[in-house]
Amino acid sequence: MATVREKKVAFPRMAHYNVAMKYFIEQGLGATYIMQPEMTRRTLEIGSRYSPDFICAPFKHTLGSLIEALECGANTIVAPGGPCRLAYYGELEQQILTDLGYEFEFLDIAELRYSKPKDYVKLMRKLNPKLSTPKMLAAAAETLRLIQHMDEIEELYHQNMGFEAEDGSFKKAYTQFLHALERATSGSDLRKAYAKAKDTMTHLPVNKPDHPLRVGIIGEYYTVMDSFSNLNLEEKLAKMGTEVHRWMNISNRNIGYNEQNLLAGLGEYSKYVMGPTTVGTLHAAMRYGERHFDGIIHVKSFGCTPEVDAVPAIQTIGQDYKVPLLFLSYDSQTSDTGLNTRLEAFYDMISMRKKTLR
Amino acid sequence: MKNAYLGIDIGSISTKGVIIDDAGKILASEYLWTEGNPMEASKKLITVLHDRLDNDTYQVMASGTTGSARKLVGAMCHASVVKNEITAHSVGTTTLHPNVRTILEIGGQDSKIICVENSIAVDYAMNTLCAAGTGSFLSSQAHRLGVEVEEFGKIALTSENPSNIAARCTVFAESDLIHKLQMGHRREDIIAGLCRAVATNYLNNVAKGKKIIGPVVFQGGVSKNIGVVKAFEDQLGMKVIVDDNGHLMGAYGIAIMAKNSGKREKFDFNVADIDFQTREVNCGHCANHCEIICVYGNGKLIDAWGNRCDRGEIKVRA
Repeated sequence: MATVREKKVAFPRMAHYNVAMKYFIEQGLGATYIMQPEMTRRTLEIGSRYSPDFICAPFKHTLGSLIEALECGANTIVAPGGPCRLAYYGELEQQILTDLGYEFEFLDIAELRYSKPKDYVKLMRKLNPKLSTPKMLAAAAETLRLIQHMDEIEELYHQNMGFEAEDGSFKKAYTQFLHALERATSGSDLRKAYAKAKDTMTHLPVNKPDHPLRVGIIGEYYTVMDSFSNLNLEEKLAKMGTEVHRWMNISNRNIGYNEQNLLAGLGEYSKYVMGPTTVGTLHAAMRYGERHFDGIIHVKSFGCTPEVDAVPAIQTIGQDYKVPLLFLSYDSQTSDTGLNTRLEAFYDMISMRKKTLR
Repeated sequence: MKNAYLGIDIGSISTKGVIIDDAGKILASEYLWTEGNPMEASKKLITVLHDRLDNDTYQVMASGTTGSARKLVGAMCHASVVKNEITAHSVGTTTLHPNVRTILEIGGQDSKIICVENSIAVDYAMNTLCAAGTGSFLSSQAHRLGVEVEEFGKIALTSENPSNIAARCTVFAESDLIHKLQMGHRREDIIAGLCRAVATNYLNNVAKGKKIIGPVVFQGGVSKNIGVVKAFEDQLGMKVIVDDNGHLMGAYGIAIMAKNSGKREKFDFNVADIDFQTREVNCGHCANHCEIICVYGNGKLIDAWGNRCDRGEIKVRA
């Protein structure tokens, strides 16, 4: 048998979803997955150094994490593509990494955007020529369920960690859950980890008032989900003593997403799809308003055009439903002093407001 | 002995302090320049306030810090409350002006707007990324024009025909200003134009999308500039209230919060004599290399912060 170079596949880091990718690549495709370390200041430093200056922060993050993956020994990079500039980013990243002298194979999912399912299988065969289609399909179904489970556990985590009776108990359960997923080699491993995390989190003692402060987080896909990019916004806010909700995740935006339905529900606030995440952003803002949330925080990377377009509509929603709003713009900053000041003030404001309203 | 409460607001440019009594009356106050050294400025401030206070009648029983160096100075003087300046300003202003609906604030490096309903802040915004149109911009331009920044307002009022200056960005404003100077515009017109540009920039950026309802209170260091006050009144078409103590409002607010905190501990004015030092340590546990700040008082570690995770935590031994 001819020696084929073993495929060591890597994805850019994004939130916690890399464990799902790892499962699919290893169990479904039978290739090796390279998990680069979590992003740190160094990731952003090297990412920014080799990025065009005016590009959005997610590009800098993903480029940095791809360099770190190559350093870890990856030889095949899969670019996830995306519905905005992100779709073009794969090509640009490939060029930059090649210019830097790295040798790797590059598979860009963005190129398949308008293709048939069999083209996807063709792409996967590049990773493993002896791919077993039934096995792959089974793993794909398993991975989709895994992502939904991850989103559900993350929701539980953000909505309860602020009220935990024992400091750090939720974080511990959540970290254990993610570690268990990383070690999983079968569907039953995944389901066991999920069942355990769900059981732990629903039974951990909490001191939650009857009407806790509820804050909805909305905004741009990558920055809003990735806690390194948004300087740990959700945990910080939750720790102050709030229930943090976020509609945007892969389950809602990709798996069970129906853009036309959501758009129809926006009524006068928006009649057009302004960009890949604006419909979801406005939809979530409206739902939070209808449910009398205490505040809404809008998150975007600096210069994200679709989300900038959504801002006026969000302001109208805030006025109509009388929900205080906070707008945050992220670039490649590493100091969170400014964020802490704004968050603390926002928290003070919504909690004082709630006290007088009652 | 009656109780008194101390509030300190340590900003980028100036440091403010007040001592109030149980009724919220100001017993002593001071305003001085931070000059890039928040610890020294606060020590000086504490000494001055101590001298001005009637120490036979009053004892400071709680203290609070706010402003950008709140954490550092809070650790230094063992403050009961350490709060951000947005909350402090709204608490201070709504205590003195219960009817206020909108608070405009322009300080040394930042500017903010706070919308108030029933004496409670319901919405706010703060400038992001850039310090255009704030106090430091005005003082650097004053320097360029060879005028004291304190004189700015008065000179602006003498102008009949303010020049048009773009204040979208400090760099653009500066080149606009130089251009106009070289074209022969009168100095008072330029100054009036600058004041107007500050107000325009504020209303177009910080206050964008906010409904400005009267009564409007304008505060922060820039509120002492009568030219900017006039510009705001012209552009808003309503009266703008400037409190005599407007520059102290953050310190006043945090003093009120210290009073309401319920925490009581005799404040030690001797902090002014303690030698405080800070040291920056880079955590080596991962590639993030968090910069951890350690604060020492007379050589003993009193507080540390800056770590993102538990691994970088530096515990203070009691």
